[in-house]
Parts: sequence; structure tokens; C-alpha cells
Amino acid sequence: MNIFNITLPVAGIEFNVLLLIVIGFCVGVLGGFFGVGGAWIVTPALNIFGFQMSYAIGTDLAHIFGKSIVATKKHSKMGNVDWKLGLISIVASVIGVESGSQIIMILERTGNVGSIVRWSYIVLLLSLSIFMMYDYFILRPSKSEPSESETKKQSKKPRKKKVLLSQRLYKIKISPMVSFPTSGIESVSLWIVLFIFFFTGFLSGFMGVGGGFIRMPALVYLIGCPTAIAVGTDLMSVLFSGAYGCFTYALKGRVEIIAAIYMLLGASIGAQLGVTAVKYIRGYGIRLLFAIMIAFAGIAVVIEQVYKMTNIPVYSTIAGVLVIGASILMTLIICTKLFKSVKREKSLSM
Amino acid sequence: MSTKKILALLLFCFLFACAYGNAYAGEGAGGKQETAISKKIDTKNLSGVNLLIADLYNNDRMLYAVVVTLVMAVLGSIMAFGTDLVLKHFGMSVSKISHSE
Repeated sequence: MNIFNITLPVAGIEFNVLLLIVIGFCVGVLGGFFGVGGAWIVTPALNIFGFQMSYAIGTDLAHIFGKSIVATKKHSKMGNVDWKLGLISIVASVIGVESGSQIIMILERTGNVGSIVRWSYIVLLLSLSIFMMYDYFILRPSKSEPSESETKKQSKKPRKKKVLLSQRLYKIKISPMVSFPTSGIESVSLWIVLFIFFFTGFLSGFMGVGGGFIRMPALVYLIGCPTAIAVGTDLMSVLFSGAYGCFTYALKGRVEIIAAIYMLLGASIGAQLGVTAVKYIRGYGIRLLFAIMIAFAGIAVVIEQVYKMTNIPVYSTIAGVLVIGASILMTLIICTKLFKSVKREKSLSM
Repeated sequence: MSTKKILALLLFCFLFACAYGNAYAGEGAGGKQETAISKKIDTKNLSGVNLLIADLYNNDRMLYAVVVTLVMAVLGSIMAFGTDLVLKHFGMSVSKISHSE
């Protein structure tokens, strides 16, 4: 496989070009299909395969920026953007990204960056996996049709009016209060909005993720945006914070442009396939597989951390196989289902 | 949103990065330790595109950052259109996604 090795001058390492394209492709398919960026696989994967942590984060952010342009084109050209909210999101996200990246540079100088970011990833990936499994096994069955006896019980009880989380947050009156007419929000504390976008920006700068998997639910459930506007505003936020993250990490000399280009190539094709697959593949079961895949990615980071502590090479090999194996397997399942569906559709139309 | 506002936002991002992007970059432990901005790539064994990138990286970090950002933006746009065309060729539906409540 050495013939596929290329020199990455900025990161100062040799890297397999096929691996870069495969990582990008898998992340593109998964991100496009599940609606979350999927970039949180890239930083751990690059780190496991030999990138220093700060280079892994910077390169990931550069490829996120390129990919966000593909996503923006796909999602109706940001047609549903609350520009007032968007402006606040950009300012807060940019400050968050810069804060995150500055902490990375400080940690790099103290020599702790790899370990701290890996632990952050372990917490993030395993929490996300547990939440998705909880959603699949506990929340979803309870949302489905209640049985006859349950229906009778419910009809006897007086119905409690549900208060949405966003409505509770509207009651926090810390001035200045702002309104977002496009999103139908009459009054919310500016600090709450700033905090949400700052936090997601910080995560982006600190871990090299897009932050959409937190920003989207936060826009809908905490700020109370309609879904369509949340998607548009989130896309705009990712686009600007991605561009900023790419720029500031490149300024710090931590973007390996060649690796980012190869990953973008794979991710662009993968993202298109992933988004297209949404229209063809039905069923909630695939979400369980995704949750398991995230858990495997989290375990891979744990094993990599063990390798860094013990220096036994076999741990690093296992971590690499686990993270890339889980991603490839999940991608293969989606692609196989997609091509089968397309074939079936074509044969029916004949 | 007008083009002026978008340009103003981009200008804000650029100025913010210039002001704070290198806040710690120039400071080492007593100025001796290699820091982000002072890091140089060894160009001895490099040639072609790698040498070009390394020279840009070593000589003008600001220009390197601008080039990286522009390259990713341009390639992202090209690939977004290119992959659409390829998938259409294979008979897949590549229409835009619409969102509803």
C-alpha cells in the first residue's frame, strides 16, 4: 500500500491517500444520510492514523468548510434563514471558534492537547451513542400508538398542558431582550442566544466539529425556531464558522491543505450519495446501527488513549481498524440499500 | 440579506481572525520555544506542489490562510455541481431538500 502514500508537507508526515478519500467518503455518506455533519469521526480518525491533534482539528475544519458549501447548495440555498438570528449566530460562533482554537494552541504548548481532546471525544461520542440508543429503545416505543387500556387510563386523567423548554427560557428576563419576527419569537434574552452559539462555536474550534448536531436541536427546542428556519440558519452558521475555523487554523499553521482537499473530494461524493439515500431508504432501524457505530468510534478513541499511555503499538492498530471498519461497514450498508432501491425503482418503471 | 451585509460579516470575521488569530502564536516560553507562527517546514526534500505550499507556509502565513480558505470554497462549489451531474447521469434523484414542520 506504500504506493498510495503521499507526503503531507504541513503536517510533516506520510499518509495513505486512499485512507483520506475513504475517511472523507464515509463521513460524507453518514453526514448526508443522518443529517449531522459526521465530522466528529474525522478528527479522531486522523489522530489515530498519525496526525498531531491540532493538525487533525484544523484539517477537519477546513474540510467541513468545503463540505458546508455542498450542503448549502443541497438544502434550498439557505432559503429559510432568519437573518437577525443568523447575524447573532455568526458573531457568537466566530468568538466561540476562536476561543476554542486558542485553548487548543495553549494546550499544545503545554503538551496536553492530544489527551484532553481525546477525553472530550470519548465523552461526546459515548454520550451521543447512549442518547441515540435511549431514543431508539425508550423514547420511540413510548411515542408509538398506546394500547387500548392505556388509552382508557389516559382519557380518565385530566390532561396536563405541556410547557415547551423554549417557552420556559422565554420567561428568563435578563436584558437585553430581543425578538425574532421571522422565527415567530416575540422575546428572548440575548444572552441565552449568545450562549448557545458561543458554546457550539467553541466546540467547533476545540474539537473540529461542525456543531450542527447541537445547534440544530438547540435552535428548535431551546430558542423555539421552526424546523425549516432552524435548518437554514444552522447552515449559514456552519458556513461562516467553518470558513472562520479554516482561516484561523490555517493562520496558526495547523491546516494540512492536501489532506483537506482529498477528504473534501471523498466527502462531496459521499454527501451527495448520503442525501440521495434519504429519499430511497426507509426505516428507523438503521439509526440503531448508527448509534452502535458511534459507540465503536468512542471505544476506538479510548483504545488510542490507552496506546498513548502504554506505548504498545497493537492498541493503535486496533483503534484504527475499529474506527475505520465501523465507518466503512455503516457506509456499505447505506450504499447497498441505496443501489438496491434505485435498481428496484428502475425495474418497476420499465 | 444584502451583499453589503454579507461582505461586512466576512470583513468582521477576517478582522477578528487578524486581531485574535495570532494572539498566542508569537509567544513562546521566553520566545525560544517553537510556536505556531514561527514553525517552518523543512523544504529540502520537497518538490512541485508540496514545495509551493511549503514556501507559502514559511514565507507568508496570512496569504497561506487566505489561499487555503479560498481553495476549499472554490473546490466545495465545483464538487457540489460536479457530483450532482455524475449522480444525475446514474439516474438518481438529486433534487434539493425542502424542509417543512
